[in-house]
Amino acid sequence: MKLFLATRIVCAAIFFLLLAGAGTRTVAGDLKLEAQLIIGSNDSKPQVSGLKPVASDIEKKLKKLPLKWDHYYVVSEKKFSVGNGDTKKTSLSTQCQISVRNLGDQRVELTLASNGQNVGKITQSLHKGQTLVAGGDADNSIVVLRQGN
Amino acid sequence: MNDEQRLKLQAFLDGELPQREEREVLAWTQRDAEAAALLAELRNTRQALAKSEAHLSVPETREFYWSKIERELQKQEATLTREPRKSFIAGLRRFLLPASATATLVIAGLFAYSHMDTVTVAVVAANDSDETVVETAQAGSDATTYRDEADGTTLVWFSAADANPAGGKKPGATD
Repeated sequence: MKLFLATRIVCAAIFFLLLAGAGTRTVAGDLKLEAQLIIGSNDSKPQVSGLKPVASDIEKKLKKLPLKWDHYYVVSEKKFSVGNGDTKKTSLSTQCQISVRNLGDQRVELTLASNGQNVGKITQSLHKGQTLVAGGDADNSIVVLRQGN
Repeated sequence: MNDEQRLKLQAFLDGELPQREEREVLAWTQRDAEAAALLAELRNTRQALAKSEAHLSVPETREFYWSKIERELQKQEATLTREPRKSFIAGLRRFLLPASATATLVIAGLFAYSHMDTVTVAVVAANDSDETVVETAQAGSDATTYRDEADGTTLVWFSAADANPAGGKKPGATD
């Protein structure tokens, strides 16, 4: 009886460990990303109503960068997951499209497009806590890419 | 009367005692009524058995008959010493216990390895230069990269070559 109980406990432990293992593999392979289209402004209030200020942690990072704006507002935000070796394309606005490829080992290839025209490609590692900011001379829009929670 | 005396009476009846002891037993049965009664009872029993016991004869020779018995005994002994058959559940349990223990160890090892791998990647990344590779898609355009290592932030600014910010001008400036 005790032996049977022990077997059942061991089987249950294996089941839960397998579940945990499967979860670990998903986290290890996939990248959960968060992309934001942000506009910079020197006005304390957004020119377009309804825009929310960026999160304080992103604002802090942006203010340390050599950008000329003092205030940043979120135009759109997308959260998505990209499998190892996969590419995810998404539109952040009618003019701004991005494509993110998961190169593995938490490296990404971010391709920026404006009105369907490729602007450029950035390849770098994007570990948790790291932030990739990309923009262009065209307007005051910037794209912020980082790993989601 | 004790057991030894009873056995002696039986031996006397069977003619297994030496002559001196035979004489002693005979004298004892003559003076002891209980011994005489037991001897008479044993004698009667013997006679009754001798009369009623059927005489059996086997067609085989004595050696062959006993060899058959010997083979049968050996067969039974082999059956008795053979391991009793175990049930399927018991067999499964015997297999499952070590298998599950091994599987638990392997999974725990893999789990630990996957975490170690993450840590290793993080260490490598920290030591790595985390090089940023930028490619511009449009002819005549350029890109400026700025890295804030402490903050883990990388800024890539795409601009036309002639509009590249200079003289301390911040990227993003269009004025």
